[in-house]
Amino acid sequence: MTANLRYLLLSLFTLVGLVLPSTGCGDPPSGIDTQLEIRTEPGELVFHPETAEIEIAIVNNRDVDLFVGDFRIEGPDWQSFAIIDDIAASALPKGAKISLRIKANPGDFVGPGEHRSAVRRKGEASGKVGHNEFRVGKAQLVFTVSEPLQQHESFTQSVQVSFEDPSWWQQYALPAAAKILMLVMGFIMPLASLLTWMERKQSAMMQDRIGPNRANIRIGSINLRLWGLLHIATDGLKMLFKEDFIPKRAHRALYTLAPLFGLIPALVVFAIVPFGDALCYDGLFDTLSQADVDQCAAGRGGTAMQIAHIDVGLLYYFAIASIATYGTALAGWSSYNKWAVLGALRASAQMISYEVAIGLSLVGVLLVYGSLEPHAIVHAQMDSYWGIVLQPVAFILFFTAAIAETKRAPFDLPEGESEIIGYFLEYSGMRFGLFFLAEFIEVVFVSALLATLFLGGWTLPFGLIGASGFTSELAAQLFFAGGGALLTALGVLIWRTGPGGELVGGAIALLGLGHLFLATWSLATGWGTELPHLAIVLIGMLTWGLKILVLCWLQLLIRWTLPRFRYDQLMSLGWKSLLPLSIANIVLTAVVVFFMMPSADRGDQGAKPVRDAAGNPLDARVQLVDPSAAKSVRQPPTRRPGQ
Amino acid sequence: MTIGVKKVSLTRTTRDQIFLPAIFEGLLTTAKHFFKNTLTPGMGDIETIRYGDPDVDVKDYYPDRFRGVHRLMYREDGSVRCVACMCCSTVCPANCIAIEAEDRNDDREKAPLSFVIDELKCVVCGFCVEACPCDAIRMDTKEHMQPTETRAEAVLGKVDLMSRGGPSVAVQGGVSPDYRAEAPKADPRFSHDPR
Repeated sequence: MTANLRYLLLSLFTLVGLVLPSTGCGDPPSGIDTQLEIRTEPGELVFHPETAEIEIAIVNNRDVDLFVGDFRIEGPDWQSFAIIDDIAASALPKGAKISLRIKANPGDFVGPGEHRSAVRRKGEASGKVGHNEFRVGKAQLVFTVSEPLQQHESFTQSVQVSFEDPSWWQQYALPAAAKILMLVMGFIMPLASLLTWMERKQSAMMQDRIGPNRANIRIGSINLRLWGLLHIATDGLKMLFKEDFIPKRAHRALYTLAPLFGLIPALVVFAIVPFGDALCYDGLFDTLSQADVDQCAAGRGGTAMQIAHIDVGLLYYFAIASIATYGTALAGWSSYNKWAVLGALRASAQMISYEVAIGLSLVGVLLVYGSLEPHAIVHAQMDSYWGIVLQPVAFILFFTAAIAETKRAPFDLPEGESEIIGYFLEYSGMRFGLFFLAEFIEVVFVSALLATLFLGGWTLPFGLIGASGFTSELAAQLFFAGGGALLTALGVLIWRTGPGGELVGGAIALLGLGHLFLATWSLATGWGTELPHLAIVLIGMLTWGLKILVLCWLQLLIRWTLPRFRYDQLMSLGWKSLLPLSIANIVLTAVVVFFMMPSADRGDQGAKPVRDAAGNPLDARVQLVDPSAAKSVRQPPTRRPGQ
Repeated sequence: MTIGVKKVSLTRTTRDQIFLPAIFEGLLTTAKHFFKNTLTPGMGDIETIRYGDPDVDVKDYYPDRFRGVHRLMYREDGSVRCVACMCCSTVCPANCIAIEAEDRNDDREKAPLSFVIDELKCVVCGFCVEACPCDAIRMDTKEHMQPTETRAEAVLGKVDLMSRGGPSVAVQGGVSPDYRAEAPKADPRFSHDPR
């Protein structure tokens, strides 16, 4: 912990450009303690009622060969936990890892409404357990560690083992609510409204125009225009204050509901998009291992950075996205307007046609990564290659079909503002604004899905960063040097654009210089392989956001470059090109996966410790794992345990 | 008589049929413009003149022949050059000039008692300037007629028109006999100039 605090402080100081006195800062990150403590992954075992067993790895991270043994469970609730594997004392060479599994008996613990008399613990009052109390149990996994030559001088080391049955709302509802608020209010809505400005400004820049730049705010004598960014607020105000018009013969109920049918599915599908690996509540400033983070992702001592960690994953997206069709169809029909009905018909036909291609184009991805769950797909991409490398055809097919699904140019026939005004013809004010916003939210969602399935989600390319930090010092240096150079160049360019850009450009350039400083710092001290958990999470979220922003930019570029398809062209593209191509992609992928994947006929991958047929421990249980080799070997993706 | 129809073969190459190369070319073109315009100092290819910005003077961008609000010129002694010959009000297609003549009391010429131009009626054709023999009325102010709150404010009288005016030293009553020599030379860029 002290070492981590030091590195946190160090990174803070380097960020503001202060040079610390060099005493003590140049130490290698894994300073060897004189005690014989060794590392365990995860550092704490938390059982839930549904947890059958947890596997724990004991890693010798010392520079000497060690000897471990005498595994036992102690503590108040020792009877309720058990070590499954019968482990004798064994040697643990340096860098080696030993695994054992522990199980808990949930029935031994009392829960809300039960009588306390069942509790074996001393000193507790009898009576009923209150409804707001959790079922808890605490124990420790204890084992002795010694150097082989000095077995008489052994030390015990313990790992906390506990059983928790937290209330539903603390375990799921609160984190979910926090994540929804953060994602929707902190990312989607701001980005969607930013896109309304970006669309106008970017199209202007592409067509040699100036674009919106009139809205301004006056603070004292300073007139701030901010490149027209304030048009976001003025547009919103305009929408809110416009007349809310309903045609006389419209179906009032459906007319009111239709914008919600458009907007709500667009927002709800974000539930499956992972915007980071996991957040561990307790180890924010510690360096955590992947096993620790996996525990947090499964809800033990943390939460996955994904609103709904559901196994159906992408199927949920397909299901919800097709509800959005109702929004367009109902809007057109309930308006009682010929042109709106035409738009609604076009929208229904188009969205139904392209949903087939969307679903089938993703099957190849699912075959390669072996999961429907986006979080698991990102993990699989971490272990092998990104989706865009393994499934380039699927990327193009899905991108095309997804743009058609958002009903934007070149597939904007449902709107078709030059022929029919589209399904929202009669809508005005904020009702129209909801359709408008839903369209941009869909753009963000398509970008998020593309980033998740094809561009590695929150991860950096080439496995530069892992759960505990950059995978090597070179990776850290590459990341900071590359990012720093890019940011500095961008800052200088923005600075030179004009008087308004000096502040922003200067700030960006300064940030870039800070990155360059960190790169040299890493070069000098070898810093970067162990970072605090919070920094990793933030880097992951920034990476994710940046990928989405770039993809949104790309979609706007496409929207303002390509002309609208004719209706027959649209249909023939969907049914005669995208559909056969995606089916061909599925067949090809299936064949390649069947023949090339060594895991195709093997079930279990060998990532787990070796056991003989009877499940007895072998001596080979002590696996010699070179941590650097494990990353570089491109293993075909497997299902992670616990998925 | 048969009408010859030119038949154009619409054979599509494979490159056309897979769309993607052409799409990437198009994206490249627009992306080039985007980056040039956003990242170049001085707005890149954007040539829009920002009318209305405080640091932009519209008059810098208008050509010399731009026809703005009328003005009445005056002589060296400060009196109006107009001799109330009614040429301008006669030639005016919009009938927006109303002149009332009075005696100038110098035994030679008339002078306008009132000279009123209704700028709301004016079609900015510039015929009045062409017709004027005295260089009394000009439209070279490079000013637009600003919107007014009442119609009456858009009707400019002699005082308003002269307030924009300046001294003119042209020979009163027409150009001098050697006007051909004094006339500006034709622009050599326009070789088709009849002169």
